[in-house]
Amino acid sequence: MSLINTGRLLEAFMPLFLKEGIDRIAAGSYALALPALAILGLMVLRYIAFSFGRRFVREVGVEVAYELRQRLYWHLELQGPRFFSRFTTGDLMARAINDITLIRQMVGLGTRLLFVLGFSGIIAFAFMFHQSAMLTLLMVPALPVFGIAGWLIARRIFNQSMLVQEGFSILSAQVQENLNGIRTIQTHAQEDREIDRFEKTSDAYARDYYRLMFLNSALTSTMLIATGFTTLAVVGYGGYLVTSGGISIGTFTAFIFYLAMMLAPIKEGGIMVTLFQRGGSAAARIFEVLDHRPEIRDEPDAAPLDRIGGSLTVKGLSYRHPSSSSEAPEGWPALNDVSLDIEAGEMIAILGRVGSGKSTLLRCLVRLLDPPPGTIYLDGRDIRMLPLTQLRSQIALVPQDPFLFAAHLQQNISYDNPSREAEAVWGAAEAADLETTIKRFPERLETMVGERGVTLSGGQKQRASLARGLIRETPVLLLDDCFSSVDTETEEFILSRLKTLRKGRTTLMVSHRVSTARHADRIVVLEDGRGDRHA
Amino acid sequence: MSTAERMTPEQEKPKRDYSVFEDDIETTGVDFALLGRLFSWMKPYKRQGFIAIGLVLLSASAAVLAPVVISRVVVDGILLPESGTVAPDFGQKALNGFLASSLSLHPLITACLLFALWTVCWAAFSHGFRIMLARTVLHALRDLRRDLFAHLERLPSSFYDRVAVGRVMTRLTNDIETLFELLAGFGVLLGEFVPFFVAVTVMLALDPVLTGELMVLLPIAAIATYIFRVASRRVYRAIRSSLSRLNENLQENLSGIEVVQLYGRERLNYDHYTSINRDNRAQENRAILIESFYGPTMDSMAFLAMSMIVWFGGHHVLGGAATLGSVVLFAQFADMMFRPIVAMGEQWNVLFRAMASSERIFQALDWDEALAEPARPIPLPEKLEGRVTFDRLTFGYSPGNTILRNVSFTIEPGEKVAIVGPTGSGKTSLIRLLCRFYDVPPGSILIDGVDIMQVLPAEIRTRIGVVLQDFHIFSGSVYENIALGNPAITRDAAERAARMVHADPFIRALPQGYDTVLTERGRNLSHGQRQLLAFARVLAMNPEILILDEATASIDTETEIVIQDALRELTRGRTSIIIAHRLQTIREADKIVVLTHGEVREIGSHEDLMALGGLYKTLYELQVQDVSGEA
Repeated sequence: MSLINTGRLLEAFMPLFLKEGIDRIAAGSYALALPALAILGLMVLRYIAFSFGRRFVREVGVEVAYELRQRLYWHLELQGPRFFSRFTTGDLMARAINDITLIRQMVGLGTRLLFVLGFSGIIAFAFMFHQSAMLTLLMVPALPVFGIAGWLIARRIFNQSMLVQEGFSILSAQVQENLNGIRTIQTHAQEDREIDRFEKTSDAYARDYYRLMFLNSALTSTMLIATGFTTLAVVGYGGYLVTSGGISIGTFTAFIFYLAMMLAPIKEGGIMVTLFQRGGSAAARIFEVLDHRPEIRDEPDAAPLDRIGGSLTVKGLSYRHPSSSSEAPEGWPALNDVSLDIEAGEMIAILGRVGSGKSTLLRCLVRLLDPPPGTIYLDGRDIRMLPLTQLRSQIALVPQDPFLFAAHLQQNISYDNPSREAEAVWGAAEAADLETTIKRFPERLETMVGERGVTLSGGQKQRASLARGLIRETPVLLLDDCFSSVDTETEEFILSRLKTLRKGRTTLMVSHRVSTARHADRIVVLEDGRGDRHA
Repeated sequence: MSTAERMTPEQEKPKRDYSVFEDDIETTGVDFALLGRLFSWMKPYKRQGFIAIGLVLLSASAAVLAPVVISRVVVDGILLPESGTVAPDFGQKALNGFLASSLSLHPLITACLLFALWTVCWAAFSHGFRIMLARTVLHALRDLRRDLFAHLERLPSSFYDRVAVGRVMTRLTNDIETLFELLAGFGVLLGEFVPFFVAVTVMLALDPVLTGELMVLLPIAAIATYIFRVASRRVYRAIRSSLSRLNENLQENLSGIEVVQLYGRERLNYDHYTSINRDNRAQENRAILIESFYGPTMDSMAFLAMSMIVWFGGHHVLGGAATLGSVVLFAQFADMMFRPIVAMGEQWNVLFRAMASSERIFQALDWDEALAEPARPIPLPEKLEGRVTFDRLTFGYSPGNTILRNVSFTIEPGEKVAIVGPTGSGKTSLIRLLCRFYDVPPGSILIDGVDIMQVLPAEIRTRIGVVLQDFHIFSGSVYENIALGNPAITRDAAERAARMVHADPFIRALPQGYDTVLTERGRNLSHGQRQLLAFARVLAMNPEILILDEATASIDTETEIVIQDALRELTRGRTSIIIAHRLQTIREADKIVVLTHGEVREIGSHEDLMALGGLYKTLYELQVQDVSGEA
């Protein structure tokens, strides 16, 4: 920063030499080499000061963007259901891309402009004052007027900018949802309606954007008029001083240049204000996310257990789903006073109606949802008193939605630990009856799956997801209805072997099929969020 | 469930290269055809565009006249009246003289007024120019965005089977934003170039020799700009690619956040992201290093010009070839000379980016993959009888991979048919073909005797109701998710449908009942609840043919029995096709089709197939064991 300011100081000498030159020209002198060379010399020094100075300021901007991305990413890794029901993926992506860019511009360019132009304004002011105090004071009354006008517009720019950025978020979210649900839309022949809906969003976005551009432009023009009128006062009064012999024509010219230098920050003020207002609203949007404290965290006095046996106790567990609307802040009930005792090594089937809380129960066991304290115990220890990493490394949940990453099958199956040998992966694939399917792919375990890979059927995805859970060989395994798209024969095959594989370890299976339940040691039926046990 | 193992282009269609949606497009040249095409979206707003150009001309003239007033009128005319030369003043002196005499004011005061007038004109016209330009560009891009969206919305399933949604999505969002930068940038260039030309004209008129001397600097500036662009191109490309990797990584991490957390991958993923972010930072800093040489170089040009003005201009004044006022004016214009080059340098970078963006946009817009539409579509009868015939249907998503082989069977009007078979046997493909998500060989599927290739795909879909295996819940209220914008489905109709599939109790238990807003993909509902909702959605449209593709897979037996009762009502006299794994559902069908490896293995009623003693009997007995096991 100081380098830039040195550069500015050097720059301030320029009009002095120009004045010298003009005075000499006016006096009819040919000794112009000195002022011309002096300006040239200034140029070289200034060049050096600027190229280093600017670099440092801009690097700060890059550093800020880097840090924000890092923080945002880590922050998102820790968030729970309450957070994700409030911020959609499209919205978060828009924030991560656009808002961080705006903040970077504010820091890199805005700060530079603010300091640099502010400083050159002060220098110019000092030099002008030195040249003619009277002329300088002429400009003082004009300054607060710019300030107020600028501030009024700037405030509106902040709000408008917020609208534009939100508009982009909405637009992104709508596009993403549409493309993800394209089959449903086409099945119901809803294309035209979706296009209409999108047109409205896109139109609102263009309108908001136009308003922002209008305000920006109005600010620029206001500043232009303000600086023009200041120049006017100086030209009028300065011209009078020249004719009355008060100052030289060189001083007059130098003065006009200083004025330009001092007014530059005000003229550029439009850009600056816009950068700061847009950056400010972007920062507000980023901090809105960063301020959301992860709802599921390690308790301060959580301590790991040495050895996990795998017995589970659920005592009077009640859980309400969080509500994203303010009208019903208490949310809706999912589990109501559930109690269960599961001994280490048992295989339990959980049955229950749609919405009876089966998935909620499993999700509470791994703290994807946070159960109240004192309701769930693993080996006699309240799971809230265990570090999250230990809890989730000892209890594996295979979720209902078989999400696969855009990666190789091997990377997907051995997701928790990429360094596993291929043998272990084949083992898990075999246990999930996926081995023959994989062998049919030319690239076998290196076959790309996920969005851009081969299209797997619903049942194949479920089995890949199952393999990902089985490979971990955890003391406790939770299977959330992960045979729903698998045919009965295959299911039968997997389950009969699962029993041997999981011998001595605890397994909980949510299912709707009696065929699944048949393999369990015990069956638990959930009814309207209440536990009911069957032998 | 019988989705193709591997989806590649179909045999009879031209081979399409879907990988273009993967590649990072990098253009090195400026494609005028592409630009021209882009401009065609601005055509409807031609008038505003021309007004903008008119305004920029006016504003540039005012911008040049204001300093002329100071230099020629004030300095040459009033402060140094003895230096009267023939240099032009664009009538400003005469105008000022006229004003001074008619208003009987001191010429210095009227000169100030004149200066004020030009400044206000400058501010007003440039404001007008900027907002007219913004309006033109924003409207044009809004239209382009809508056209692209509408196009994507209508692309067939075969397209979405093969491309990543994220890559298509950025074309609608970020790429269009880049075009905004480009088109707004053209405006900036116009705003810099027009004053430049006006200024140069004025300078030439005042002192052609000095102007010529200053012009020497222009090629130097241009060369510096060129060198800079060449040096920075690779770095900018690296920045863009690291940015898109950052975004992709984040997006996938967000989509799979639950798996990430369950499998303890937070740290590992974070480390991976960090390495991309570091790479991005290094590239950004490299770009800054290059820019830090260039920026001050261009600034220095103005200084160089200034010292030339003092040196050469001074000598001209002393030699009587120029006035002091001209030198002052030149000094004021010195900055204006290089700004277009700087602006062009900046736009150059945007231009390349925008070329790549427009290429991506037009590539998507030109993607002409479509279902074959009949030249003269035959409308389906007013009221469908509901006879569906599969006639020697053979189909595969890719040449070497046949999914369905010579499938033939007929579903009589009002019949209820169950399709069973192991994973990968082609059940879902059969349904997708009937819904016309893909083209089928002519004459292979008939509805009421009409070849479905002769019917518009949209018409088929409005007549057939299908509960898909991979249905989607939209963000919006429960009611909106059932009605899906169909005005014929009233609130009552939606509630009736929900009651039929037994979804009503859980919907009523939600905080705002049918008005409860569901979040992205229905995350706040259980899987079974979502399935019931998708079920209700189809029933509400009261289709003439009903298809259920594992519609009850995530629904408990008890609820399913309730639904079965409703279904019995619903399917009475209505053709329906049901894919299910559960016995109870299958047994009630009038006809059961057993598919294996894409071929019809067995066909007949439950009793027929049991008597046959084939695959169906084996499957059935496996499940009967279960039932007895439960009892």
